[in-house]
Amino acid sequence: MLQVEHLTKIYEDGTLALDKVSFEVPDGEFLVILGLSGAGKSTLLRCINRLIEPTAGRIIWDGTDITAASGEELRRIRRHIGFIFQEFNLVERSSVLTNVLSGRLGYVNPWQSIIRFPREEVKRAMGNLERVDIADLASKRADELSGGQRQRVGIARALMQEPRLMLADEPVASLDPVLAHSILRYLEQLNREDGITVLCSLHFLDLVRRYASHVVGLKDGRVVFQGRPDEITDQRFKEIYGQEAEQITVT
Amino acid sequence: MERKKPILSSLLSLIVPGLGQMYVGQLARGAVLLLAIALTSLLIHWRESNFLFIGIILAWLWGVWDAYSLARGRPMSLLPPFLIIGVIVYIIGWHVTDINLVGLVTDVADIKPLVSDLVQPAVLERDIETQEAEIIFESPCSDSPPDKGTPLEDEPYLIILDKTCGEVGETFTIEGGNFWPSSRGQIWWLNMAGEMKRRIRQEGEYLNFETDEEGRILPLTIVAPVPFGEARGKGPQRSRVQALLKREVGALHLSRTFFLVVDKMMETIFLALMATTVAILFAVPVSFLAARNLMGGNPITMGVYYLTRTVLNILRSIEPLIMAIVFVVWVGLGPFAGVLALAVHSVAALGKLYSEAVESIDPGPIEAITATGANRLQTIVYAVIPQIVPPYVAFTVYRWDVNVRMSTIIGFVGGGGIGYLLQQWIRLLMYEEAGAAVWAIAIVVWALDYTSAVIRERIV
Ligand SMILES: Nc1ncnc2c1ncn2[C@@H]1O[C@H](COP(=O)(O)OP(=O)(O)OP(=O)(O)O)[C@@H](O)[C@H]1O
Ligand SMILES: [Mg+2]
Repeated sequence: MLQVEHLTKIYEDGTLALDKVSFEVPDGEFLVILGLSGAGKSTLLRCINRLIEPTAGRIIWDGTDITAASGEELRRIRRHIGFIFQEFNLVERSSVLTNVLSGRLGYVNPWQSIIRFPREEVKRAMGNLERVDIADLASKRADELSGGQRQRVGIARALMQEPRLMLADEPVASLDPVLAHSILRYLEQLNREDGITVLCSLHFLDLVRRYASHVVGLKDGRVVFQGRPDEITDQRFKEIYGQEAEQITVT
Repeated sequence: MERKKPILSSLLSLIVPGLGQMYVGQLARGAVLLLAIALTSLLIHWRESNFLFIGIILAWLWGVWDAYSLARGRPMSLLPPFLIIGVIVYIIGWHVTDINLVGLVTDVADIKPLVSDLVQPAVLERDIETQEAEIIFESPCSDSPPDKGTPLEDEPYLIILDKTCGEVGETFTIEGGNFWPSSRGQIWWLNMAGEMKRRIRQEGEYLNFETDEEGRILPLTIVAPVPFGEARGKGPQRSRVQALLKREVGALHLSRTFFLVVDKMMETIFLALMATTVAILFAVPVSFLAARNLMGGNPITMGVYYLTRTVLNILRSIEPLIMAIVFVVWVGLGPFAGVLALAVHSVAALGKLYSEAVESIDPGPIEAITATGANRLQTIVYAVIPQIVPPYVAFTVYRWDVNVRMSTIIGFVGGGGIGYLLQQWIRLLMYEEAGAAVWAIAIVVWALDYTSAVIRERIV
């Protein structure tokens, strides 16, 4: 169970990005964070694994206070939390295999990892690439891949962490609708088959309705909706997206 | 009032160019006009080309007219006065730089021998065989002058026909035999120890001879030159007169010049290599200090950043040639001075390029690797180094290439390498040798240019 309590983030320039955000995520949930651009979705997800330091509030995961952890302990927590980025964030000049292997850095001996990875880790990486159906691309350079292939590398990299929690910050915003579904289906599969809790921010309501088991709506850094996807009525939708908003559908 | 304004402003412009424009509120227009006319007048005065003042007067009058129309609300184009000033500047420029198009055409023949030597570099040569014979001459005469010499049987010989002593400027006649037939030879003048010598001249020309079919030197008249050495003018002094024949024998082989050029070319390449390596050692750490994205956020590190940037900019603005002159004075002539000069310049150049590579690092992968639970060292190895190594290598190879080119120039001021040799050969008018050096430089520079381009293409 992940508990977010009164999480507040004020950036150095004074921007209030999160304002006392509180919600709970039971294990095994596919939680979608919904919100306009600038609502604070990225900030929220990055606070959970402390890529961004929260200003106030607590994040408690299975009884451990992530916000209080530091150094070695924080790294130990992080290695169980996968993160998938909108812009994929691969090391462009490295091979696909190296990119995937780097997801394992939190587990292997740091000095050994600088020279080379153990054989069983390479096997694990190939296995994860197979899971996202791109084992044949292992030796390519990351910058030779298409967007959809890159995001699958991103998922394989996160899988190397054997995560119990997967954070995904708009994982399909840079992809076309068909690819969007294929990527989200991988996440759905991880959620259903491996029991990984997923926290995913999305833009499109029909994607939310299709994949989410639970939704948190954010607006200007505040939680304006919590509930099941089928509870998002037109009225609710306008509260999250503003009065002029129309629903756009993705096929 | 409205009527007066145009008159007044044009009057003002007549007194001082641009003043009228300023008076009607067009400050910048007036100032530019004033400045342009004043500076151009100074230029004309400096060159003492007073006829050009006609142009100034025209521009000035145009300014008066402009001030008048401006006051009436109809500004004119300032193109004509600036065209006039432009023409004046270029006329002066033509004179200052001694442009001589006629000479460019008529004197083209002067470079023919130079070009022909340059395209026949002294790379191949044959062995040289010599034949020589000597006779002694004394000046002024002592009580016992040297003997006239005797003709020999099989060896080349010289004899003096008339007198073996005399004052400087008196003539004597030599004759010889048993030389190679029908060959050209030279006459040399040596001191008795033989360590000082020069070719004898007659009326400004070197004295040459040609042997006949039987290898004889027919009687040859020589004006006695000044003897060498300290004893000159202190009583009778003996000198050696030498007849010298040279001919090429055997097959063509690589010349001494060739090996000298190879030697110095290697020195140049290594000079550039050492300078580049030293530069890398300093530039890598410095580049982190000069990267805004690493140093930002804290006033102390920002201070270090600005300091580093400033030092790099100053160092980079000093030409390596000037740096080389400084180091030649400091550590003496030779390649070490060149290494230091190029190294200092390269630290600045590479430091800037490297730091820009650091600044253009994509923070995304760093974030991603951090999120996996990697520690700082692992993050650097997996997210930072893959991003900076390719540009670092590319810039470094490029720099080495530039340094090889620069070190040939630096040799001209004594910084070692092939440039030093080339510069000496040019001064001594040894164009065939200089040609060999020029070819070597061209080939090496081309090869390095090509290699570095290939490497950069592969890496980036
Ligand atoms: N580094 C930062 N410094 C200052 N303000 C920031 C910073 N990052 C984000 N913000 C601000 O915080 C607010 C929330 O940003 P955030 O990136 O979390 O929104 P988001 O919901 O992810 O939007 P998007 O859909 O565009 O990604 C915005 O107003 C943004 O301008
Ligand atoms: Mg975002």
